[in-house]
This record gives sequence, structure tokens and C-alpha cells, in this order.
Amino acid sequence: MNKPIEIAIEDLDLGTPATLSESTVTVHIDGNAVDVPAGISIMRAASLAGTQIPKLCATDSLDAFGSCRLCLVEVEGRKGTPASCTTPCEDGMSVKTQTPRLDKLRKGVMELYISDHPLDCLTCSANGDCELQDMAGVVGLRSVRYEEGSNHLAASTDNSNPYFSFDASKCIVCSRCVRACSEVQGTFALTIAARGFESKVSPSEENAFLDSECVSCGACVQACPTATLQEKQVINLGVPTRKVKTTCAYCGVGCSFVAELRGDELVRMVPDKHGGANSGHSCVKGRFAWGYATHSDRITRPLVRETTDSEWREVDWPEAIAFAADRFKAIQQQHGIDALGGITSSRCTNEEVYVVQKMVRASLRTNNVDTCARVCHSPTGYGLKQTFGTSAGTQDFASVQKADVIMVIGANPTDAHPVFGSRMKRRLREGAKLIVIDPRSIDLVQSPHIKATEHLQLQPGTNVAVVNALAHVIATEGWIDEAFVQERCDVASFNAWRRFITLSENSPESLAEVSGVPAEAIRSAAATYAKAGNGAIYYGLGVTEHSQGSTMVMAMANLAMATGNIGRDGVGVNPLRGQNNVQGACDMGSFPHEFSGYRHVSDDTVREQFTALWGVDLREEPGMRIPNMLDAAVSGQFRGIYIQGEDIAQSDPNSQHVADALNAMDCVIVQDLFLNETSKFAHVFLPGTSFLEKDGTFTNAERRINRVRPVVPPASGMAEWQVTCALSEAMGYAMDYASASEIMDEIAALTPTFAGVSFDLLDELGSIQWPCNEQAPEGTPIMHAQRFVRGEGQFITTPYVPTDERSTRKFPLLLTTGRILSQYNVGAQTRRTDNTVWHAEDILEIHEADAELRGVSDGDWIEVASRAGSTRMRAHISSDIPAGVVYTTFHHPVSGTNVITTDNSDWATNCPEYKVTAVEIRPSSAIAVGM
Amino acid sequence: MTLDYSQQHLIKMANQIAGNMPSRENVPAQIVQHMAQFWTPPMRADLKKIAENAPDSFSDDVLAALALQD
Repeated sequence: MNKPIEIAIEDLDLGTPATLSESTVTVHIDGNAVDVPAGISIMRAASLAGTQIPKLCATDSLDAFGSCRLCLVEVEGRKGTPASCTTPCEDGMSVKTQTPRLDKLRKGVMELYISDHPLDCLTCSANGDCELQDMAGVVGLRSVRYEEGSNHLAASTDNSNPYFSFDASKCIVCSRCVRACSEVQGTFALTIAARGFESKVSPSEENAFLDSECVSCGACVQACPTATLQEKQVINLGVPTRKVKTTCAYCGVGCSFVAELRGDELVRMVPDKHGGANSGHSCVKGRFAWGYATHSDRITRPLVRETTDSEWREVDWPEAIAFAADRFKAIQQQHGIDALGGITSSRCTNEEVYVVQKMVRASLRTNNVDTCARVCHSPTGYGLKQTFGTSAGTQDFASVQKADVIMVIGANPTDAHPVFGSRMKRRLREGAKLIVIDPRSIDLVQSPHIKATEHLQLQPGTNVAVVNALAHVIATEGWIDEAFVQERCDVASFNAWRRFITLSENSPESLAEVSGVPAEAIRSAAATYAKAGNGAIYYGLGVTEHSQGSTMVMAMANLAMATGNIGRDGVGVNPLRGQNNVQGACDMGSFPHEFSGYRHVSDDTVREQFTALWGVDLREEPGMRIPNMLDAAVSGQFRGIYIQGEDIAQSDPNSQHVADALNAMDCVIVQDLFLNETSKFAHVFLPGTSFLEKDGTFTNAERRINRVRPVVPPASGMAEWQVTCALSEAMGYAMDYASASEIMDEIAALTPTFAGVSFDLLDELGSIQWPCNEQAPEGTPIMHAQRFVRGEGQFITTPYVPTDERSTRKFPLLLTTGRILSQYNVGAQTRRTDNTVWHAEDILEIHEADAELRGVSDGDWIEVASRAGSTRMRAHISSDIPAGVVYTTFHHPVSGTNVITTDNSDWATNCPEYKVTAVEIRPSSAIAVGM
Repeated sequence: MTLDYSQQHLIKMANQIAGNMPSRENVPAQIVQHMAQFWTPPMRADLKKIAENAPDSFSDDVLAALALQD
């Protein structure tokens, strides 16, 4: 009987990637018949059958290469000894993996490798974690016959990268690092220079790693089978002794990692090859930039102070909780219950977020709870709920591998969502077409082996005009998928939309002047998307952070429905969420008008469910959003706030207004890792936990719920949810949970889309994409497959309404903002790591013509002024942006980018219009100053 | 009437909602529904009070919506 082929054994390197074939063949490996997928390599088949063929250049994350000659096998009826990694299995094939002839050949190959390799295994940093060492043992190499001759033993070490070193003396030139950089990361920074004996790994034509195009994703380090490319932490500390699986705390990709430790000291974070979101890949932030968790700036004891101009006083937890509760109670008595509120954080777990919104609703008895998604993806929530019925991306990340045309709108995946960006680039290299809609020429527009079919370089603020024009072409050219619309969508709404979108005012020709995009380019892009086969839309904050952010989300949904690009692999409308748990924070009922699962507080049936379980009457009217709370604070009506893991004084627009609001409050409670800009206005500081200390779940941009497991104990002695519960109890409402798992059980009991979720199931399956319920007990990778969540897809007309924020004679340039690869949001984490070597300050990118007009040279200090305020930073002359537009990041408080952004916001959700601010710049001799 | 920051913001939000309602049919009713879904009762009351004193600050659709709220 043939051995059944099981799923890949945990952590076993099967040598070559899986094949997608559904047919099987039978092969005999060392006399045992096994059924394997057609096309699979002999090496992988043998591994699956339990036989590990020696290898060096092969690893299952990379295509077979066939260079090391260690994996030779004998195939009955064939001459020679083919490499098992490059030889596919054929039906009836009989393979021998272990014979005297093969033993001799392998020993000879290993002898050659070792003859040019340092024999310092005992003191080598990779001792015990080295494939070369392992293979020498496997083939039984005991001595090297060759006398000393030419070798590479004196080759130098490149220590330029802050996180890993490259010791050329230990390199066996297997090309795994080069292939990882090309195939997995897609950067092509590494190559093998020269030929024969002179061959060597070379970053960007023999640069040092730090000076090369290397993006420090760590894929090369991961792939290296020796100590050549190795984490400096391992070199300094030694090989890890224990492992914990957990989830990254940076962007919305939500990569799975294995935290590797010595005792309670974290040695390295290794991307988990079984991770549903990342499949073993990582970026510089998740892989390396976690040192902030133990940074000396961490506050681990609670702090209180009477007034914001007095010194902080370190207190114990009971005193801090009592102090905060007394302040809050006093405010309630004097100003009423709606004078308090809270903000939840997308950097916290679902469980931590859930208890904060529960505390606000059930303990403080108000619906004044909001979340940082207010300033990023709240329009996604509004727009996708209106059109599809729920607030979430439609696909899993793997879906992009089936896309024929990828439309990237207002997103920069290679910088802001780099692991997904690599996945996308792989598909583009395979031949998928790319349409980029962005004022900037992002990396995807042209990078190694990738060139966008169309780059619609629109004026900031004209997204809706451009997508309406695309839809106009599709509707008027007869490219509507009528069958899909008739079967799946609300036909009346479609007919109304068709009447609207075919109006001449929506034609590319009519909108060319306002958008700055030539009509021919729009027509060409419309044809590319409509005729794609599978057309997929991916978007970011360049869509949502506009005065018409919600309108734009609905316009994209219309486009996808009209072309039938919803409900299967390779299509969809996909928000790339900024922070790791934006999706989860929204799911958990953080918005002031919704309970968990996006159900309005006015829904009596839903409210009764919560009332029954929570044991309190709940308010049926929506509470205040963040900007409403800030406005009310300035007016004196809103007096106290609980801010979980969010630095609104730096991240929110119009910083002066935020400062005025915080200053006006009687009690500001900040729960965070570090004293930040917001804590300058705080009266209570409650130390938070880093992701390494948390126990709970994050939900990423593809609705994937992943476990966050405690790697080390909380530095403050308390989990964040315990702190929130303690405050709630001190306010008179007890929330008794014995564990984070119990909180998830309550979430599941109250939230239909999470009904089947539990920590036990997550441990069993690895991760789950909601909805997870009776109909989908293991989750739902692709949404709206048979029907939309709301039943029929709803078309909504999307008239283009120009923003009030326009360039004027006084402020003639339009500023737009974004993120850079090495830094993350307000930089609280990444600024406290060595990532600052790549980005030590925010820089203003400006077009050559605009710079010349103002007498600005590259590197000059400049003043940037808007109607909201002014700041200073240095200028960089860039061809990535068109004339009339300037661009900067917002990672450093010293540059205070949000001092100049305005209070304009999305009409439906109040998401700030970060992406359009009219500014003027002028040379400045002064150094950068804060707000 | 001198309007403070908060009042000016409410006016702007209301006018923006009116100007961006996707369907141009019966905009006032849509505004009422939107505000009921997303605005607190005090915000709605404040807006009404502002409109009584500074009606020129509002679009006709917003004023019509406020009349509907009675």
C-alpha cells in the first residue's frame, strides 16, 4: 500500500517548492511506493516520504537550482546521477537515494566545499545551526585530502548592515541568498560577481550591503546555509534555545514569526514559513526592528501628576488606577457622563481593544469611543459596508497570485506593506499587468523586471474623477459584465449608476484637465482592467485620506462589480491596512456608532444581546468621533479621555488644535510604551505592553486572525487588558476575565462573524479568516463568493466633488504624505531601533522646477507653511513627483508634519484629508524645530 | 454671530455631507438619516441652534434637513 502523503512536516525543509498540480503520480523511492503530485521534484517527494536527501543549494522557499551536486540520486533506467532537486517525478519512476556510488560522490563534493571553508565549527556563531556542518556529518566526511592552496579564507567581513553581517570567508557560493533576493523579495540587489574560483556574492555591483539596493528584508540571511549571512544578535548572543510562534506588530500584513530566545532574551525573529499571510517572508521592520521593546525609554511603572506642568510621580498600580478613577468620577459628577471617552488602538490586540470599548460603553456609560482607524481606513468601513455589506477586504493575500491585472491605487506596497508587495511583484514578474493610480512614481511603477502598463499620475484630490472616468469608459464601451450584474447585484441601483456614469461629465476627456491624466491613458487603463480576466484592486490611504475618501471606496466597489471582479480568486477590492490590527480594532466595536461586527448601536435586537451579557443598559445613540471629542474639549464640554496606544498629538491633523483640546481636559490617561507627544498633556500614564508581552490576537488586512503569544512576561507586571479591567472596576463596573482567551470567547458569543473563533481553534489551524461560523467553520478566504454579505451588491453613484483644499497664490503647492519602508507611522517604535540609519529625518520631496523657482537646492533646509501652521525640514529634489506637488513622511515628531495638515476631512467619516494640503515652501537657514 | 472653532466645524461637516450625498434625490432626508446614524444628539442640537442664528452659513439642503428634524 502506498504511503499517504501528509501535509509538510513542521519546520522540515522539503528542498523544493510545492507544485499546484492536482493529479498524482506514483514513484518508488528506495523501494517504497509513494503517491505525489505530478511535477514534484524527487527531492521533495523523498522528503514527504520521510527520506531526507542531502542538499546545500536547495531550500523549499526557492526554485530548484541544481548547483551543489550533493543531492544526486540514481534513477532506474537512466544514465548518470541526476540532481534530485531539478528532476521531476514521473509515474513509475524508481529512485535510489542511498548507494555506495552516491555516498562516494557526495563525500567528494563535501570534501571540496570544506577544503575552502574555515574549520572553526566549535567557535563559529552558527555552530549547531549550520547546514554545511550538518551535511558534512550526514555524508560522513571525516577528513580533507587536499593540501592548502588558493582559498577564500582571508576574505573580508561586511558589517555595514546594522542587523546582519556578511562573512565572505564562509560563503560556499550556493546562490541561495541571490535567489532569495530575486525570487522571494524581488529586489535583485544581490548577484554572483565574476566566474569560477573568483565567484562571489555581490550587493549592487560590489557595494557594501548598507550602500547597496538591499532592503534588509532578511530573506538572504534566512536562506544562507552557513554562517556567511547571519544576524549580529546570534553572533553576539549565541544560538537560540527556545521558540515561540507569534505575530508581527507593524503593518497590516500581519506576518507570522517564530521568536527565538535564550531564556527570556530575544535573539531573533524568524519569519514562519507556515504563516498564512507571509509564507516565510519578512521585511526589515518585523525581522529586525523589535529592539524598541527593551529600549531604555520604556516606561514600566505607572505615572501620575496633578497638572501637566508638574513632574511625573511614579506610583504602584493600585494608586494609579485609583487616581485615574477618582479623576474620571469627578468629571462625570461635574460635567456628566458624556464628558468622558476613549480611543482604542490598532497596535493592540483584539482582546485589549474589546475591553476598552466595553469599558467605555458599559462602565463609563457613553458611546464616546473611537479608534485610530478614524484617521486611516474609516472610509473603507463606510464604503464597503454600503456596497458589499461589510467592512473588509474581499480576498486573501494569496489571491494576487491569480490576478491578471493589478490596479494599485493610493498605496505603496513595497514601502508600507513590503511582504505583500513582494508577493505582488512576484505575480507581476510572471506577467500580470499593472495599473498604478498615484501622484507619485512609487517603486512599483518601474523596478527590476516590473514596469506598470499605465501610471495615471493624477493631481492629489482627484481620485473620484479618475475612477469615474475609468467606469465611464467601461460602461460606454460595452465592457460591463451584464451577467454578473443581473445575477449578483441590485439592478435598480445599477441602472441608476449606469445613467450617472455614462454622463458626458464623467468622460475621460471632461475630467482630464481637473485630474491631470490624459484621456487616452484613462481609456487604455479602462480597457486593461475591464478585459483582464481577473482584475484586482489594492488600495491604501491615498484613497481614504481625502475629503471624498468614502466616495472613492464606493467608486472602486462599483468598478469591481460592474466588471464582475468580485467573489473568486484573483479579483476583489482590497484595503491595505496601515497598522497591524486596524481590521481587528474596527471589528471589535471601536467606532462610536457600532458594536462588534459592525452592528449599529440603535439596533434594539443587537443592543439587547450586549445588555444581557454585560448586565447594563447601553446607549442607543452614537457617541462622538475623535474630532468631535477634540472640538467638544476645546468648547469645554469634553473633559477626560483614555487613550490606548495612540499618539494623537503627533498623528492627528492640525496638531495645534489637538494640543488645545488635550490641554483643555481635566484628565488625559495615556496607555503606551513610551512617553510621547500626547503624554505631554497627560495626567496618568499607564505602561503598556509590547507585542512580545501580549497574549491575544491580531486581525490583518485579509481578515486573518492570528495568535499573538507572550514571548516574555509583561515588563510592567500587568497585561493591558488587566489594566483596563482594573480601571473599569474602580469606576464601578467589574469585568472579570481570567485570561485573554476568555475575552475572545465573549467576542465570539456576541459577534456573528467571530462565532466559531477560539484560541484552541487558532492553535489548531494556525490562523482563521473571518467570517468563521457554522457555515464556514474554518474561516472564509474569499468573501462574497455566492452572494454579497448584504444580499445583492449595491451600486452607488459617486459624483466628483472637488476638495475645498486647493492650491492658491499664497499656497501654490499641494503636499501629500506617506510612509517609508524603514520607518513606521509616528516612529515611536522604529525611531528606537537601528532603522534610523536609513531614515533619520523626514524629508520634503520637491520637483526640480518648483525647487529652482524658489531657489532651493537638494539638502537645503526649507520652511513649509500651510494655512494651519508651518514647520521646517530638508528638501530633496525628486523626479518621483510631478511639478506642483510635494511629498513627505510623518515619522519624526521634530519635523511635525501634522502641524501643517488641516482639519479637512472625509464627508462621511471625518477621516482627515492628509493627502491634500496646500502649502508654500521657502528656503530657511534654521534647523528643524518641533511644534 | 461669532462662531467658535467647534461651531464652524459642525457647519462645514453638515454642508460637506449635503454636497457629497451620492444620490441627489431627496438630499435633506438623506442628511437626516446620516446624522442620526453618525452624530450625537448634542451635535445635532448644536447644529440646529447655530442654524437659527446663522442660517446663511448653511446650504439649502442642510436647512431643509434641520427642518425635517423637528
